[in-house]
Amino acid sequence: MSVCERDYQLAAAVIQSPAALDEKILKRARSFKPTRRNRPWVSRAASGFAAVAIAVLLIHPAQYLGALTPPGHATTPSAAVEETSLANWQEYAEEALAKADPWYELRQTVESGDHVALCSQWREQQRDISAEKLPRDLVREARSHCRLLKAQ
Amino acid sequence: MTRNAFQNLSDEALLDYYHSTRNLRAFRQLYSRHKDSLYRYCAQMHFPSAASVVEQLWDSLLERPPELCGRLLRNWLFIRASQMLGISETATDGEENSAPRESTYAEPAAAAESDRLLSAVQKLPRIERNILLLHMECRLPLATVADIERISLSKCRALYQNGKERLREILHGPERQPWQVKEVTL
Repeated sequence: MSVCERDYQLAAAVIQSPAALDEKILKRARSFKPTRRNRPWVSRAASGFAAVAIAVLLIHPAQYLGALTPPGHATTPSAAVEETSLANWQEYAEEALAKADPWYELRQTVESGDHVALCSQWREQQRDISAEKLPRDLVREARSHCRLLKAQ
Repeated sequence: MTRNAFQNLSDEALLDYYHSTRNLRAFRQLYSRHKDSLYRYCAQMHFPSAASVVEQLWDSLLERPPELCGRLLRNWLFIRASQMLGISETATDGEENSAPRESTYAEPAAAAESDRLLSAVQKLPRIERNILLLHMECRLPLATVADIERISLSKCRALYQNGKERLREILHGPERQPWQVKEVTL
């Protein structure tokens, strides 16, 4: 762009289309109404599907899953509850162990300091009277605590 | 379609969209792109008929889509405006034949009167003014301007240069000439 053209652009920027003329032309443009596409079946079908979809979303039972928890289970956990549940678990574990371990009672007596039962079992094992063999830990315990009496 | 989408459309695409949907916003976008330069051109070429020419032009565009024949809409607008101005000028010349020549040059707008450059443009002969305005204001190539004026490209280019020279002369006076030292003979 030459200097002359630039000077002209700057000078001519003052002249603008009058507002009255703009309004007149835009008024004329407004007289042409926008064309509407008349396809009512599309909008009806679309609105019907939308209504069904909304109803399904609201009524569907899946959204209420987990909302109805039985009373007592959905309470908030506290320190006391945790302690009791832990104690319950320990009791339960002992019971289960007593059921599973045949030497449980003997071990309990040994732990309490009474070796009589252990030693008698141990002597029976030595004399091949008892069919059941003591487990290793009890054998170790018996060796250290029981005297082997000579058979007369 | 959003306003930003309209901004990205070309003039021709906007015009097509407007005539298929009669969307007012599309027309507004198109109108705002060209209204000022179109009015400026018309006002400087023939101020009394500028508003009516602009109005008729946009009315015809609103009524039915113009036959662009591969041209840009911008070019079509200014070519059509030039033709309509020519017709209205000859009509007013016939009516006001008794008026002096100076008044038949486009009566400048109030803004044009105040500016030296714009008033200098008004002093140019019609053909030079038209070529100058179509090239500088409407940004049409000189080849298109030559087609509008129905003259050869070289003549159009010469007239454009002449117009610029004349404009410079009106604004800044004649070009400085070297001193002529006359030999004094005794």
